[in-house]
Amino acid sequence: MLSTKFSPMSKEEVDRKWWEIGDFFRRNSLWMLMYCTGCCAIELPPAMTSAYDMERLGMGPMATPRQADVLLVTGYLSLKTLRRLIYTYEQMSEPKYIVGFGSCTINGGIYHDSHAVINQLNKYVPVDVFVAGCMPNTEAVMNGFVDLMDLIKNKKANGWKDYHERYDWYLANQKAALGEVRVHDEFHE
Amino acid sequence: MTNSMSNIEFTTDLVESKFSVLSTEVVDKYQVSFEVKKEDVHSLLSLLKSSGWIQLSYLSAVDWPLDNEFEVVYIVFNWDKAVHIQIRTRVDRETPSINSILPIFPGCKYYEREAHEFFGIKFPGNPDHEKQLILEEWDDLPPLRKDFDPRAYSDKKFSKMEYKNDFVNTNGEVSKQDARTKRYDDIDKLRTGGKK
Repeated sequence: MLSTKFSPMSKEEVDRKWWEIGDFFRRNSLWMLMYCTGCCAIELPPAMTSAYDMERLGMGPMATPRQADVLLVTGYLSLKTLRRLIYTYEQMSEPKYIVGFGSCTINGGIYHDSHAVINQLNKYVPVDVFVAGCMPNTEAVMNGFVDLMDLIKNKKANGWKDYHERYDWYLANQKAALGEVRVHDEFHE
Repeated sequence: MTNSMSNIEFTTDLVESKFSVLSTEVVDKYQVSFEVKKEDVHSLLSLLKSSGWIQLSYLSAVDWPLDNEFEVVYIVFNWDKAVHIQIRTRVDRETPSINSILPIFPGCKYYEREAHEFFGIKFPGNPDHEKQLILEEWDDLPPLRKDFDPRAYSDKKFSKMEYKNDFVNTNGEVSKQDARTKRYDDIDKLRTGGKK
């Protein structure tokens, strides 16, 4: 016998409710994987330690990609590191978010004409939040994290869904820059 | 042999007595550079290794496109005497090749791979010298040659941010930069008495 107190919900509505509950807990407990490629990584120690203390936002460092929620790409990426970054991103469990630091991830920054460094990170992996600056202030970094939490709350941090939907586009861009995404080196063979 | 200047003298005596050195340059009191012929490099490095310069600090190259030559530089370091020695030698730029120093300094393995990758110099004797190290799947000229254009490569390979001029000056005011330029022009006119 159906309860008269609650109107029955469709499966989509139930799923949505559960996602909202999940997002509430996720955004208040973000585990970061720091991919410290460039100089913007120096903004993370003050953000993590007693000066700004990101643990009050519920954020903490995580050592492995499979257990992390947020991938922080702090700075320029050479082609060699981009290969490893794509490996790392695809290993992370969903839902997953990327924060790009500094002008290097937006338009190449001061390395825009280098032979070794990519220019736009969001052509290769979906970036949810960019923190602009060369290098960004620590307040800007913290603000970027708060923005990410707001995006998760408003269901706009959908980079990982976009990566599923437009995977062909991302893969084509990756192949255009890298040739082949697979890593061939002494440690992978 | 505690004084650093006598260290330099000891080094130059040691090298110049046994090898025909093309040029010697004392960079500072801790560093001296010898340019030798390509054939002498290996025996000179063996001599230095047996005389105390046991560590290969670096191996790299310099591109001299006008001379059509590469200059290969070996830097060796001594833990007892505070002297770095640079051994410089020139190799041909069209078919750059110099025998590996792997039997003398095994640590040169990765430096030689790097030099091959960035300049295209071959090191016969080092079985790994053609393996990729830093640049993976490289498809162009070695990038540290002077005739390589990094900007053209970057424009060809990596997508760039596109900016549009999508702003308009709605209130019709003169821009501050234009006003400033006009003011400076007026000041210049006053200074020259109205003449340009």
